[in-house]
Amino acid sequence: MERIAIEKKVLSENDRIAQSLRKRFEESGLLVLNCISAPGSGKTSLLERTLEAFPHDMRVAVLTGDIQTDNDARRLARFGFPVRQITTAGACHLDARMVEKALEGWDLGQLDLLIIENVGNLVCPTSYDLGEHAKIVILSVTEGDDKPLKYPGAFRKSGLMVLNKIDLLPHVSFDIEAAKANARTIHPGLEILETSCTTKAGLDGWFGWIEHKLRPAEVKA
Amino acid sequence: MHEMSIAGSVIDAVRREVPKHPGAHVSKVGLRLGEWAGVDTESLRFCLEVLTKGTDLEPLDLDIDFRPRATDLDIAYLELEESDGTDCDREKGPE
Repeated sequence: MERIAIEKKVLSENDRIAQSLRKRFEESGLLVLNCISAPGSGKTSLLERTLEAFPHDMRVAVLTGDIQTDNDARRLARFGFPVRQITTAGACHLDARMVEKALEGWDLGQLDLLIIENVGNLVCPTSYDLGEHAKIVILSVTEGDDKPLKYPGAFRKSGLMVLNKIDLLPHVSFDIEAAKANARTIHPGLEILETSCTTKAGLDGWFGWIEHKLRPAEVKA
Repeated sequence: MHEMSIAGSVIDAVRREVPKHPGAHVSKVGLRLGEWAGVDTESLRFCLEVLTKGTDLEPLDLDIDFRPRATDLDIAYLELEESDGTDCDREKGPE
């Protein structure tokens, strides 16, 4: 019997494609954000408010993943920016190959920002690098404030947590300070924003966050 | 939830390694698995069993090095056993 060291990531094939995507994104000066959350936390609503607020000449595109239906792509296409639906037909996450395929035909050099809305799931999307610059985890106050402890991977690997639906705080038992403390137990450096897509509270902070991330990419000709 | 695709990736990695060791059979795969990797070990064992059943990789033993508060999802090692000659790939022969 012989033991040989492999020392490779299980998802090395996905990571290889993700690295080649990341290289393309960087060469095109494109900022890519991967939005992850449980189903129903308001990812699509947040993107609707975001696209709605962008100027018409903003060079932004969206990929939105779901197991079935193109409902989200239709919701998001109303704002006039390029949107494509990735229907995974059963898979509970997007992987790098799906993103690579969905980007076919788009001139990345004509874009500054690509937002990827992952399949609603706090577990599996966390494992698959899509070549993004940052993962964003969205947690709504209608979920539990202990979700960061229950689904640590998503909070550990994200650069930003958006606490959404804060207009509902008076009606639910969600302890927002406990949620933040739980998230920072898992990821001490996690940035946190609070938003409501209904009252639009906190959206300026979210737009500012994106703008700040976009700035280094702005040197594009 | 995605253990089946993780198991598929483990098997792909094993299959990429096999041709480098003619005449040997992979008997065990060692994984390093973080508590926060989002992978259920029992489900992963089951998925690997299903995917290897009836193939040349059966039986494939799984050794999991579980890491608390970590997100590792790595293949650390493979264990090879010399084949008894009844099921090796005779076309390729020894190196």
